[in-house]
Amino acid sequence: MSEGVGHLPHHGGAEPHEGPPPGLPRQRRGTTPQGYGRYPDFDVLDQVDHWDEVTRRVVLSRLEKIPPIRFFDEREAATLGAFCDTVLAQHSEPRIPVLAMVDAKLHAHQLDGYRYADMPPDGQTWRQVARCLDEEARALRADDFASASQGIRDNVVGRFAEGELAWEGFPVEKAWAVAMRMTLSAFYSHPWAWNEIGFGGPAYPRGFARLGPGQREHWEEPPEFATDPVKDVAERGVEGE
Amino acid sequence: MSTRLATVLRGSRRPPENDSAWLLDPERRGVPGRESMARFAEREEVDMVIVGCGAGGATLAQRLARRGWRIVVLEAGPFWDPDEDWVSDEAGSRHLFWNDPRVIGGSDPVELGKNNSGRGVGGSMVHYAGYVPRFHPSDFEVRSRDGVAADWPISYADLKPHYERVERELPAAGEHWPWGDPHGYPHSPHPVAGGALRAMEGARKIGIEFKVGPVAIANGSFGHRPHCIYRGLCLQGCKVNAKGSPLITHVPDALAHGVEIRDRAQATRIEVDEAGRCTGVTYVVDGVEHHQRAAVVTVAGYSIETPRLLLHSAGPRFPHGLANGNDLVGRGVMVQGAPQVAGRFPEEMRMYKAPPPEICSEQFYETDPARGFVRGFALQTVGPLPIAWAEHVLADGHWGQALREYMRDYNHWYTLGALAELLPRPQNRVTLADESDANGVPVARMDYSQCDNDRANIAAAKQTLHDVLEAAGAQDVLTIDRYAHLVGGCAMSASPEDGVVDSDHRAWEVPNLFVCDGSVMPTQGSANPALTIMALASRLAERLGEGRVRVPGRGTSTSWRKTSNPR
Repeated sequence: MSEGVGHLPHHGGAEPHEGPPPGLPRQRRGTTPQGYGRYPDFDVLDQVDHWDEVTRRVVLSRLEKIPPIRFFDEREAATLGAFCDTVLAQHSEPRIPVLAMVDAKLHAHQLDGYRYADMPPDGQTWRQVARCLDEEARALRADDFASASQGIRDNVVGRFAEGELAWEGFPVEKAWAVAMRMTLSAFYSHPWAWNEIGFGGPAYPRGFARLGPGQREHWEEPPEFATDPVKDVAERGVEGE
Repeated sequence: MSTRLATVLRGSRRPPENDSAWLLDPERRGVPGRESMARFAEREEVDMVIVGCGAGGATLAQRLARRGWRIVVLEAGPFWDPDEDWVSDEAGSRHLFWNDPRVIGGSDPVELGKNNSGRGVGGSMVHYAGYVPRFHPSDFEVRSRDGVAADWPISYADLKPHYERVERELPAAGEHWPWGDPHGYPHSPHPVAGGALRAMEGARKIGIEFKVGPVAIANGSFGHRPHCIYRGLCLQGCKVNAKGSPLITHVPDALAHGVEIRDRAQATRIEVDEAGRCTGVTYVVDGVEHHQRAAVVTVAGYSIETPRLLLHSAGPRFPHGLANGNDLVGRGVMVQGAPQVAGRFPEEMRMYKAPPPEICSEQFYETDPARGFVRGFALQTVGPLPIAWAEHVLADGHWGQALREYMRDYNHWYTLGALAELLPRPQNRVTLADESDANGVPVARMDYSQCDNDRANIAAAKQTLHDVLEAAGAQDVLTIDRYAHLVGGCAMSASPEDGVVDSDHRAWEVPNLFVCDGSVMPTQGSANPALTIMALASRLAERLGEGRVRVPGRGTSTSWRKTSNPR
C-alpha cells in the first residue's frame, strides 16, 4: 500500500527537520522557494509566451513588484514574517515574500467577503496574532517570536494549529483559519511555488490535451526523487498504512 | 423523435427563442450589443425592474423581453468582458466574488464570498463549476415523504419543460441520466481526465455507478461559442466562452430584445406607496443615488442579498421589512455539506487539467431508511488548483514541512467531493448586522448551525468518498470539511403563513413584488442549484408573459405586447 509514498507525512515522511527536506533534488531550472522541488527541470515561466496578455501581466506582477510593508508596524512585521516562514517552512532564501503580499492585501482593504461574528476584521486579527505569538514565545523564555529558536517557533505554531492556545477573548481556531487562508493564498499564487509542485500554470489560450493517467503535455516535466522513496522507507523501517 | 434520430442530431439543434450563442462575436469573448443597448429614463415607469443579473434575473429578463416587456436590470457588479477582465489564474480571480463585508455566525458558520457568492453580470454562474443536474421529483415533496423540511407549492412536472428548455440553451452535456426522472442531454459527454477514470473504476468495484456530466459546457462548438480547451479554470470564469453562464447564454438575447442592464448599480431600497405596492428601486452608482420607477419589481439577488434588500426596505407600511410580516424573510437559508476527500495515486493525475466537474453519482440521493437519516447526497469531482489544494492539505491538519511535502505531491492526487442535502431550519437566517457598507446600508449577517440529521448525512457522504478512493487504489487520503451552494431565505409556499412568496414567486404581502432566484427554494436536494434557478425563472416568465399571473394596477402605459423578433 505504501509503495512510493514514504515521503508523505501520513506515511512517516517529512518529520520536522533542519535544512532542506531529505531526498529532494536541488532545482536546476527556474526558481523554487529554498531552491529545491519535485520538478528540478521545470520552470513554469518558460511558458509565459503561451499565456494571454492579461493573465501574464497579473502573474508576472507577483515577481516584479515586492510591495513595501505599509499595514503592519515594524514589530508586527518581524513577528508575522517569522510566522509566515515557520508555517510554510521557508527557512532559507530564496523566499516568496508572503508577508509583503499579505500586507499589501490588508493595506488595500481587499477582504474575503465575510467576517466571523466573534472576530474583529481580518487586519486586527493579524495584529492580535502578532501580539499573542510574542507572548507565547516569551512564556518559553525567548525575547520574542521572531528571535526565538526554530524549536520554540515550531512549538508555538504547532499549538496554535491544534487550537491549544488560550488567547483571552479571541477564538484561536478562527484566528488560525484567517491567518492561514491569506498566507497560503499568497504563497501558492507565486510561480516559484508552482515550479516546486509541477503545476502547469495558466493555460489560456493553449489549453491541455493530455488528460489521462500518467500523461503529460510535451512541456511538462516528470517528478524526481533524489532518494528513491521505496528504498528510503525500507531503510528507515517506516511502516506504511 | 426517435431516440436514434435524437442521438444523430445531438448538439446540432438550435434552442428555441434564444439566439444568445449566435449573437456572440466569434473573434472576441465580450458580449456584443452593449453600445447599442436600450436606455430607459429613470422617471419612465418600465414594466419591470430586476435587481440582480444572475441565473434568475438574466433568464427572466431574456424571456420577458422576447414578449415585449420593457425591462431594466440593476446589477451591483461589472458587466464583464472575459477577454479583459478575467485571468487564467486562481488568486487573480478574486474580483469575481462578492467580497463586500458580511458577518457570519452560528455554531457552524458558513464562509461566504469565494465559492458561493458572485458579483457582476452572469452572477455566481460566472464562477460555478458548471454542474447542471436536475432536482429529483422527491425534492419537491420532502415534508410529505420524510416528515421534515417543506413541500414545494409546485412539483417536478411544473419545472420539467423548463429544465429541458434551459438544458438546450446552456447547453448541457452528459450521459443518459438514470437517477431521479431519467433523461438524456442535448450534448454528448466530455472526455474525462485520469483521476475521474480511476474513481469510476474504483466505484464500480464496490457497486457505485458514476455517470459523465451533466455540465453546461458545449461538447463541440455551439453558435459562436468555441469548444472547451480543458484548461481546468472553470471556477475562475471561462475565458473561452465554452462554459455556459447567463452572461453568454441569456444576456446577448436579452440585449437584442431591448433589455437595459445597468452595471455597478447597487440597489439600496425598494420603494413602496401608501397602498403597499412597489413603485421602483433606489440604487447607487459611484456614490450617486438614483431611482428607477417600475410597474413590477423583481428581486434576484440570491440568498443573502435578496433578504438583505427586503429587510432594509422597511418603512411605515412594512415596519419589519418588505414581505416580512410573518417574520420569515431570511429564514431557512441553506447550504449543502460539501466535504472533499483526495486520494493519492502512483501515476500523475494532474488534477488541474480538464474541467473540475467531470462525473457524478446520484445513487445515494434519496432517503434510505437503513442509513438512519433522511435525504442523501451526491458524489462529484472537483479539481482544486494550488491554493484550493493548500487549503485542503491544511484542513487535514498539516503545516510547515508536512504541508510543503503534500503540496509537492499535488500531481499525484485526485479529489472527489460530495453534496449533502442539509435541512432548512428557521433559526438559520439572514438578518441585518450592526455595521453598514459604504452606502450606509447594514451588511448582511448569516447565522448557520447544523442539526443531527445534517451531521449524519455529511459523515455518510465522507465515508462513501473514502470507500470509492480506497477501492480505486488510493495510497493515502486527505479530507476537508466545507460547504457549497447557498439557497433558501425567501421560501415559496402554498399558504401565506409558511413562506415569503407564492408559487408564482409573488410576495404574499406585496402584489407587484416578485423574488426570482435561489432564495425561493424551500429545499435544496443534493443538486447544484444553477439549473433549477434558471428553470424557475423560465417558468415564472412563461406565466407572467402569458398573463397567467395577474399584476393588479399595472400601468396603463404598457401594452404588454407580444412582439415578434425585432431584428
